[in-house]
Amino acid sequence: MRRLLPLLFLWPLAAQQPAPVPKPAEAKPAQESPAPAAERWLTGNVDFGYRVVGAVGGDFNTYRSVVNLGEGPKLFGLDASMQDPSRRLFDRLDIRANSWGGDPYNTARLDVRRERAYDFSFDYRNIAHFDFLPSFADPTLQRGVFLNQRSIDTNRRSSDLELNLLPGRRIVPFVAFSRNAGRGRGVTVFGLEGNEYPVPNLFRDHSDDIRGGVRLDFNRFHFTLEQGRVSYHIDQQVYTGPGRNPGNVLTPVFGRNLYLDQGNQSLDVRGDVRFTRAVFAAAPFRWVDVAGQFLFSQPEADSKFSQNNTGNFFDFASRQFYSSQLAALTSQASQPHTSASFSAELRPVRRLRILESWMTDRLHNAGSAFLTDRLLVSGSPLDTRTLASVDRLVLNYNQQELAGLFDINGKATLRFGHRYVWGNASVPAAFVIERLGKESAELRRHVVLAGLSLRLGQRVSVNWDHEASPGDHSYFRTSLHKYQRAKIRARYQVHPSLAVAANFSLLDNENPSPGINYDFLSRQNTLSANWTPGGGKWFSILGEYTRFTLRSELTYLVPNTLDRELSFYREDGHSGTALVDVGLPGKGAVQPKLSFGGSLFASVGSRPARYYQPQARFSLPLSGRAQWYGEWRWYALSQPFYLFEGFRNHQFVIGFRLAL
Amino acid sequence: MAWLLPATVVIVLWAASVGAAQQPAAGAKPAPAPEYAGSEACQACHEDIYRAFQRNPHQRVETDKRRGWAGRACESCHGPGAKHAESVAAADILHPPKLEPGRADQNCLKCHLREPPLAARIQGGHGRGQVACGNCHSMHKEPERLRPRQPARINQQCAGCHAAEWAQFQRPHRHRLPEGAMSCTDCHNPHGSPPPQFRRVVSANEPGCFRCHGDKRGPFVFEHAPVRLEGCRACHEPHGSANPRLLNRAEVRFQCLECHSNIGAGGALGGIPPGLHDLRSPRFRNCTICHSKIHGSQVDRGLRR
Repeated sequence: MRRLLPLLFLWPLAAQQPAPVPKPAEAKPAQESPAPAAERWLTGNVDFGYRVVGAVGGDFNTYRSVVNLGEGPKLFGLDASMQDPSRRLFDRLDIRANSWGGDPYNTARLDVRRERAYDFSFDYRNIAHFDFLPSFADPTLQRGVFLNQRSIDTNRRSSDLELNLLPGRRIVPFVAFSRNAGRGRGVTVFGLEGNEYPVPNLFRDHSDDIRGGVRLDFNRFHFTLEQGRVSYHIDQQVYTGPGRNPGNVLTPVFGRNLYLDQGNQSLDVRGDVRFTRAVFAAAPFRWVDVAGQFLFSQPEADSKFSQNNTGNFFDFASRQFYSSQLAALTSQASQPHTSASFSAELRPVRRLRILESWMTDRLHNAGSAFLTDRLLVSGSPLDTRTLASVDRLVLNYNQQELAGLFDINGKATLRFGHRYVWGNASVPAAFVIERLGKESAELRRHVVLAGLSLRLGQRVSVNWDHEASPGDHSYFRTSLHKYQRAKIRARYQVHPSLAVAANFSLLDNENPSPGINYDFLSRQNTLSANWTPGGGKWFSILGEYTRFTLRSELTYLVPNTLDRELSFYREDGHSGTALVDVGLPGKGAVQPKLSFGGSLFASVGSRPARYYQPQARFSLPLSGRAQWYGEWRWYALSQPFYLFEGFRNHQFVIGFRLAL
Repeated sequence: MAWLLPATVVIVLWAASVGAAQQPAAGAKPAPAPEYAGSEACQACHEDIYRAFQRNPHQRVETDKRRGWAGRACESCHGPGAKHAESVAAADILHPPKLEPGRADQNCLKCHLREPPLAARIQGGHGRGQVACGNCHSMHKEPERLRPRQPARINQQCAGCHAAEWAQFQRPHRHRLPEGAMSCTDCHNPHGSPPPQFRRVVSANEPGCFRCHGDKRGPFVFEHAPVRLEGCRACHEPHGSANPRLLNRAEVRFQCLECHSNIGAGGALGGIPPGLHDLRSPRFRNCTICHSKIHGSQVDRGLRR
């Protein structure tokens, strides 16, 4: 295929040769169509070509985990719209497809609609997810083994179909089906007491979601009722390869090494979710809108687990060695989950809007498992244990908010309000305090809301949002507690061809409780500009620059000493993107264009990283409907942490874009 | 907190009474009906807009007698135009982009209130942030400009305002938005949703993340509480991170120990630190090597298998 590449470069040059001028005798007088100039029944474009991927410098697994683009012929994009002039089967049909030809993410979408008859959509995605980053502390590194003990290589495919019947009418029935399936393999750990053994694993899962319902649309009232069911299946297998697996620990236990000769784990989960959704919205009077939702789902799962392993193992409870283990478990879990919300917008006077909203979210998870575990020494039973476990998690969350929006004049709107969040949760107690049965916590948070919007004509707009809470009760040490969050967005249309925008965001959160001392501060300032002089025919530039800092400090206890230490996390960096388009001199409609730019990300702190993605593109119109282009991209990541993680890669694309 | 509910009720009742007082009294003389000019009159001056509008789905209003705007599609949004057609003065016609966002939205909601995505608009829609419908939806142009469906175009539109969020996608570890494999609306409902930050839900009220990450769905016999109580963001930064697996911390151990480090300190959940684990050994620096079922387990309370 590479041998054909020069032809792809040369062909557009040949295509640029002036076309032979037709002889006058051959020219036919243009005939006027008797029908008015109708729209084309097919419009759109198709973008295809060939990508060459240069040699990957650095770590190939990191390249695959971050970029993973491959070489070969590709369909980069297809976007077609079809209109049926007779409107018999459909009014309009849209097809879109992106990144086909072995790329790690392929998408396709179909939308077909016939007014007042049906509205159908189909969406398909196939995303490959590879993750083999040597970013985790590798227990076997000192032995010269570079093995990531948590890695995956999966493919996930999802298909969504939705059919609405009689759209635009009062009663609209609808039905939808989604299928989401993933499968792949990876490396995980076969964990046993005293040692853990990196082993391959296989996993696959799929879920089928079918739902249907009806929408009732009246002039001042809307109601949707939907019911659905998801059935899903998860299958995970852990197995060992041939040979003895010494695991991560080579130090003998009581004079004997622990190892795994053979091991299998199998987990089979079958689940089912039934759900109901009821939604209403109404505008009973001109001065009020109300809306509400009731959502209920009941996920349930039944699992079967089995494990067998042979080798040399140590049981710390009985302080005995054993040579094989057989375990079997069955379990059930159920999680009824109810949510409801109600909101109203009142407009008592022309300049004032009052927004009242309330929501609740209640969930409780109940699970039970029965495990039988048999330990054997040379085939003879050493010990048989049975363990029945029950577990329960309860969450109650509530939120009430009252806010007002007051138009000071036509140019400024003031926002103010108060949000109260409250709830409670109880979860099973962690290991050492297991005997306590459960841990409970409360959530209580008062939040003051404020904001201002300014619109100075259509050229300047400023939007400021602020919320702050004095802190009360929160669930976790790192949860929002005593915090303030602010966002300012400003936009200025300096000239019809020049727009600049600035964004500022801040989150300052702290939990000064003794033993926690959490202090978090994140800031992001962004400036962007878009300049398209003369409509961008000859030159345009689009750029954005972001400066960000993040600082987090929190006291934690070192596990084996229980000493207090400070966990620091820092990020201090810059990121930017830019794209410059330059129109080059040409003939008539044949105006070549050069585009260049790219993005960069550089940060220092807890995990210093640099990631550059510059690119350049030269496009050459061959006619009014065809364009040839050549593109260069460079990907470069540098992230030294446990090991050097980084790669460098050049990529070239030669392609055509044809208008349909 | 006893004052909160009564105060809310009082404010709502006051608003309701004032609003109701604005209704025209029965028997009052109605104001003279404003006059409409019809779409053809608009076309005479606004030919380019009229032509572009023919490709917009709103065009069907022009022929839809049931909605009452047949032949007057332009005026269904811009209001009666006879006076404007006569005077050619901008002041004599309604121009929604010049209205306050709240009023501009009301103009759209005359018809679109009855659409399911808008049911949560009051609770958390862009409307609260003073972003009018017209900021995202182009009423006069082709369907893709009215309601973008291509991920790249959706992302471009959102990034126009949310530049800081888009900047996070320039990090090495991210969801695949810059590649066009996903769009912002896969995870966020721009019209509003009860969960914060416009997050989408699936299967009625389950977190939208499970749409793709179905293997993390549960329910698990042994849940990892933060997944349910605070969601995936308790540990992951979904837009993009310098840390592998979109983690919030550079090292896995800190991600875990920052919570598992107390005995009820400050009333927080999380239990005590895992005793005997010697963090000087790389074996214990990656908690998820052993606690591999960190999102929840059907087998083991310690989330190990």
